[in-house]
Amino acid sequence: MTEAIKLKAKDYKSEVKPIWCPGCGHFSVLNAITKAMAGLGINKDNTVLVSGIGCSSRLPAYVDSYGFHGVHGRGLAIAQGLKVARPDLTVLALGGDGDGFSIGGNHFIHACRRNVNMTYIAMDNEVYGMTKGQASPTTPMDWDHSKLTPHGPGVRPFKPAALALASGAPWIARGYSGNPNQMAKLIAEAVAHPGFSFLHVMSQCITFCPEQTDWKAIVTEHEGPALANADEAAKVFLHEDGFQTGLLYCEPRPSWPPVSDKPVDGNALAGLAASFRV
Amino acid sequence: MSNTDTTAELANFLAHSLELESEARQRYDELAESMAGHRNLPVAEFFRRMAAEAEHHLQEVAELAGDTILPDLKAWEFDWPEAEAPETSSYEALHYRMSLFEAMQLALGNERAAERYYRGFADASDDATTVATATRFADEELGHAAELERMMTALPQQAAQLREEDDDPHMPE
Repeated sequence: MTEAIKLKAKDYKSEVKPIWCPGCGHFSVLNAITKAMAGLGINKDNTVLVSGIGCSSRLPAYVDSYGFHGVHGRGLAIAQGLKVARPDLTVLALGGDGDGFSIGGNHFIHACRRNVNMTYIAMDNEVYGMTKGQASPTTPMDWDHSKLTPHGPGVRPFKPAALALASGAPWIARGYSGNPNQMAKLIAEAVAHPGFSFLHVMSQCITFCPEQTDWKAIVTEHEGPALANADEAAKVFLHEDGFQTGLLYCEPRPSWPPVSDKPVDGNALAGLAASFRV
Repeated sequence: MSNTDTTAELANFLAHSLELESEARQRYDELAESMAGHRNLPVAEFFRRMAAEAEHHLQEVAELAGDTILPDLKAWEFDWPEAEAPETSSYEALHYRMSLFEAMQLALGNERAAERYYRGFADASDDATTVATATRFADEELGHAAELERMMTALPQQAAQLREEDDDPHMPE
């Protein structure tokens, strides 16, 4: 009889070394994911990380599991398709604020609405870092560090938690790159949640937004249990400062696709497939 | 305190010590890799050396723990004074253009944090073995801090490194 070997967080890291800038918050997310995988004892052969494009979307290469570095903004679409086709897998989608809330904004809305049993981690540094620092959907209105927006973008920043709630996400949490252990716990809870779980991570870009080092002094931990009422959560998400971390909202509902008691008609599927042949 | 309590307290202390040194080593390794990738070679080399030091201490603690059955704690179940283990370099303090002096300052802060942690553990414990072990670890960290201070004093004075990005994005006119 063989005894199962308990893997440590480092055992879930691949041989590929990250090329992120030193101090990048995405290192913390990588550490949190591997710590959560170790904490849950996840089988890496049954785990898939899917991403879009951007600094953060390089993350699947750094984890020793299956991964797919997808198309810009389309990580969620690929991940949902995978989970529906292979419900036995643990599926995590990853991306940044530009990938998830701008290029892939529509997929984000419908992933929240569809409620497939998977986890989405949005690594939000409020900037397009890979293209050297332009304003993203979550950039503050007065951020004037880019020559493209010398007076700031002048547009109100996107509120990911509020939009997720309005779109039907049943599980919403926020982490911070300065606290990878709390983030690891949130990821473990997100994976265990039987439905779509959205983890918004404030992940600092120390190179293009050095002012984000101030976040450490601003973040707070949500006190008490997660809100379980969408009306109450809406008031919080619309008016909060965005620096509250922890599990903020949890109101489980049946995930998609619903379990059917009708057997799949193999002939109908074969016929459908045949109709596409040329 | 009963023998069972004594064993449990020491085991808990050793589990935390192992995690503390392991986290320190992994973070220094990670920083050495990323600094080398950004061609900040003196700092990369320094972090590599700190990773080796942490690995050395990790092995010492592991040897001391021997066959002791340690509590099986998940990453978020360790009890630290702050968000991360005391000797772990904070991401907020880093920059790819940081100087060797700044890197040493960071490491010095880590050593002092570890010393405070071990000293605090010793102060709070009623178990003689735990007190003795934690005090020894605290003294070792104090020694590392003194060594770093000596290295910093011996370092040639450097002008503050420019941290602003000087490779501006291409702006077609």
